[in-house]
Amino acid sequence: MKDKHVSRRRFAVIAGAISAGRIALGKTTTITAEKVIERVKTELGGDWPPAGPDGFKAGEPTTQVTGIATTAMATLEVLKKAAKDGANLVLTFEPTFFGRADGPRRTVTATPGRGGPIGLAPDDPVYQGKQEFIAKNHLVVFRLRDHWQARKQNEMLTGLAESLGWTKYRLKPDDPLYDIPAMSAEETVALIRSKLHLRGGLRAVGDRKARIRRVLLHPGEMTAATMWQRYTDADLIVAGEVREWENTFFAADLHTIGEKPGLVTIGRVASEDPGMRACASWLKTVVKEVPSHWISAGDPYWRAV
Amino acid sequence: MTGREVVELIKKNIGIPWNENSYRDTFKLGNPDAQVKGIATTVMVTFDMLKRANQAGLNMVISHEDTFWNDRDETKDLTAIPLYKQKTEYVLSHDMIIWRIHDHMHAMRPDFTVVGSLRSVGVKGGEDAVMRPRIYTIPETTFGEFASQVKRLTGSRAFRCVGDPNAKVSKILLGPGYATPRMTTEADVVIGGEQQEADGGFDDVEYVMDAVSLGMAKGLIMLGHVVSEQPGMEDLAKWMRTFIRGVPIEFVPAEEPFWT
Repeated sequence: MKDKHVSRRRFAVIAGAISAGRIALGKTTTITAEKVIERVKTELGGDWPPAGPDGFKAGEPTTQVTGIATTAMATLEVLKKAAKDGANLVLTFEPTFFGRADGPRRTVTATPGRGGPIGLAPDDPVYQGKQEFIAKNHLVVFRLRDHWQARKQNEMLTGLAESLGWTKYRLKPDDPLYDIPAMSAEETVALIRSKLHLRGGLRAVGDRKARIRRVLLHPGEMTAATMWQRYTDADLIVAGEVREWENTFFAADLHTIGEKPGLVTIGRVASEDPGMRACASWLKTVVKEVPSHWISAGDPYWRAV
Repeated sequence: MTGREVVELIKKNIGIPWNENSYRDTFKLGNPDAQVKGIATTVMVTFDMLKRANQAGLNMVISHEDTFWNDRDETKDLTAIPLYKQKTEYVLSHDMIIWRIHDHMHAMRPDFTVVGSLRSVGVKGGEDAVMRPRIYTIPETTFGEFASQVKRLTGSRAFRCVGDPNAKVSKILLGPGYATPRMTTEADVVIGGEQQEADGGFDDVEYVMDAVSLGMAKGLIMLGHVVSEQPGMEDLAKWMRTFIRGVPIEFVPAEEPFWT
């Protein structure tokens, strides 16, 4: 049963590619991972410094690409799904190997008193297991963060708004404020949870009954400085993550004195997921030789009962 | 007794050299030479906590975390913000004093934040715990059962779990606040306060997800900053009572800020 299901899906991918004119019958169109990335770099522009976060993280860049998958975070579950879907080039917004260094070679120093021991040993079993899966399935993983989020179109934001069904409520171009149909904070949270298929990652601060119209969307991490500059514009701030001793307690103190806005954090990865769905749509316009699709990294968290 | 005298007594009794260069462990607001009527210890000097301390007649607040929503308690970008003005005026008009103890608590032996956090989640044997995390062994249980125990014992509404609820676990590694330890080969469960979710020094969230995908028994519990470091502030109050007499010393909890 399971095999049948997979082959049906594979057939659908190939059929879709043929109908979209990507594959000429009787002739194979091929493209390597490095050619795909070359084109992505040209289209996105800018400098691509070797020391930056964007770059190949695993696999052989010379691999022939069968399909491209985009994701907020290339977890092993996402990679398994990509392999199953026949997509062997994975573009990930967040690291693959458990930290900024994205592998065991470099180490990062912790801030004294803030953060435990860090760094990844080359013989770490989870690192090894993930690398083995990548090698066995001939996957190539490329991190695409800085250059994707630098796009003027800001799909990390518009993708999130689209997932929430709020695209048409945007107040101004180039601004993350949305004027949504009025509802309570509780109702807004319920809507966000259901639209983004969240499990246990969402946490809210402020008045549950507050009437929400102006929502400031901020995928990824929101700094304290951004919150101080923008908080008076919104009834509710929806961010990926914040530092609790900064934004969370600023919002809690605002609530104590009866001021707006409330703050909802949905999780860094959950907030970045929709922007990478938008990335897959964009890729289809740039790389026509192979299909591109998005694989949701999902909400990592659950709650105790 | 003045606020400054209280701090001098803490410095004398803390058992470690005092680092005068700590930007954290300083007076944040109020007159250090004002008379202390009572002392409140807390993990986070929220506006709500300040009001409860004042109503209880405790005008000196000793907080583990910041007052002005940033680690350095920089105020230059806050002066136009009404909340900043109100919080400041509240403290000054009620002759309150705020002093922070963070770095020295984490250097103390034991580190009360770790001791309290271990106790609060039902892990035994951590009475002498220090900041450097070590593994504690609990009777084997499932990760889901352990998470339920944490919920029951802490009363937290909003803590988050990553990993396999059916995994058999017994080795616990805990670091409160922002000192969430990295998962190791030996540990089954990591417990932390808060941590950047991805693209940090070490991404426990992704690591635990992938370890579980590879069939390893791993779990991660993110308690939240206040829930994880709060219990130790009660230990701090008890310790201070052993050498400060004549003024009441009370632990005044900060509220867990979240609803879900």
